[in-house]
Amino acid sequence: MNTATYGEFSLALHQRFGNKRVPLEATIEVTRRCPLDCQHCYNNLAMGDLAARNQELTKEEYFAILTELADMGVIWLLFTGGEIFARKDFLEIYDFANRKGFLITLFTNGILISEKIADHLREFPPFEIEITLYGRTRETYEKLTQLPGSYDRCLRGIRLLLDRGLPLKLKTVATSVNRHEIAEMKSFAEQELGVQFKFDGMINPRIDCSSAPLAVRLTPEEVVALEWQWPKVVTEHKSGLASAIAAPHVPGDRVYSCGGGVTAFALDPTGKMSICVLSHQDTYDIRAGSIHEGWEQFLQKVRQRKRQKISKCVNCRIRTACGMCPANGELENGDAESPVDFFCEVAHLRAMASGFDVPEHGECEFCAGGKSYSAVAQSAERILSREANPDEWVAARELLPILNSGQAQSGCEGGCGSAR
Amino acid sequence: MELYVRSDTVVSRVIAGETLIVPISKGVGDLASIYSLNPVATTIWEAISHPRSKSEIVQVIAREFETENTQLERDVEAFLAEMESVGLVTELGVAAST
Repeated sequence: MNTATYGEFSLALHQRFGNKRVPLEATIEVTRRCPLDCQHCYNNLAMGDLAARNQELTKEEYFAILTELADMGVIWLLFTGGEIFARKDFLEIYDFANRKGFLITLFTNGILISEKIADHLREFPPFEIEITLYGRTRETYEKLTQLPGSYDRCLRGIRLLLDRGLPLKLKTVATSVNRHEIAEMKSFAEQELGVQFKFDGMINPRIDCSSAPLAVRLTPEEVVALEWQWPKVVTEHKSGLASAIAAPHVPGDRVYSCGGGVTAFALDPTGKMSICVLSHQDTYDIRAGSIHEGWEQFLQKVRQRKRQKISKCVNCRIRTACGMCPANGELENGDAESPVDFFCEVAHLRAMASGFDVPEHGECEFCAGGKSYSAVAQSAERILSREANPDEWVAARELLPILNSGQAQSGCEGGCGSAR
Repeated sequence: MELYVRSDTVVSRVIAGETLIVPISKGVGDLASIYSLNPVATTIWEAISHPRSKSEIVQVIAREFETENTQLERDVEAFLAEMESVGLVTELGVAAST
């Protein structure tokens, strides 16, 4: 009998399959309903949204889906939302999945975790639980979540899980609302609780086309300044960039180059299967077919789609430092192949702060000679000189609604293609 | 004679021809570990889907792999002990010997 740590097992399995197309990972959004109303969220719906609830897959449908996923060889299963515990039958779905032998990860905000739920998870532990912490103070947390009392409930959920020895990690979404508390959240997680912590500053428009989340998105300089406080993240960017720039560049001819549709896929609460949770222009309705058919036929065709444009991304050598993907293009520009300026600027800033010259890759405003090059170079200088210093950040000032509306607008004006 | 059977705290999956054992409830060795079985171990695992004595398991392996190696009994014993120590196998007590 061989015993492998999770990391060894995961690496070995991915290496064994190499470039073969095998569904190893599935992400299941069991609901989009959530008690929180976070300003940055890309998909949440109100708890009382009956129309949304009535369209959700039933637990019996999930039992059939999970059986099919096990037969197809899925190993890693991520349950996410919305808020997973917004579904009263979630533990029944979870138990069924657990008995099928998936390695299950749960994404939750923690506020609906009760002693009963925590006790149940102690008896039948998932592989991993990740709770998103939105602030280190009640004021900041609830400013972002817009639900009074949610901060204390989140901390209670965290405590209930930790008291039972469950495998918990904390994370946050860095926004203009909570950016000044990221370091305190990290310290709280790592020092006080002894759990891992990470943050992500890459915010997208909503999948229903609203660009409202962008109102709280950090600037590229803020994102990279935050990252540069984390030596591990800096090292990862530098080594990734060094390898990518040194390697011979072979531009692919397909739209997608990620693991979506190759080793992974997502399933939304109504049974729509897609490349990932952000990608909604190409979906397959499993209620009208089967997961197997969706994987073998529909998603394979999506993956094989050839690109129609030669954008500046095609010959970009710093894509390892870039969050751009077709789904982001869909959400922000309504076009999977259209580069998103925000991600492009962040990537160039990461490269400059790492000391790399970005190889020429077409008409790019952030490269040498481009109209925004000097601004990015100045940002890099401010980050490296600590003039842009997250330790000095304070709570964001309240913007008057009239001033705020210029940065983000609701509705389909952002070019999003998800609601087509 | 002790009987051995799979623990009900784990389930097994066959992925790409390899048998993996995944813990599904507390009390199983190391929850952060994945157990994978080679062909001989997989045969033992299949054999103990219902209670079997050590000698029955040895017979199954001897028949399946066409071997009468005197080491076989010790290997099976060691494997069962290892499985039991991490909670993958349950010992059911004593059955009347035949």
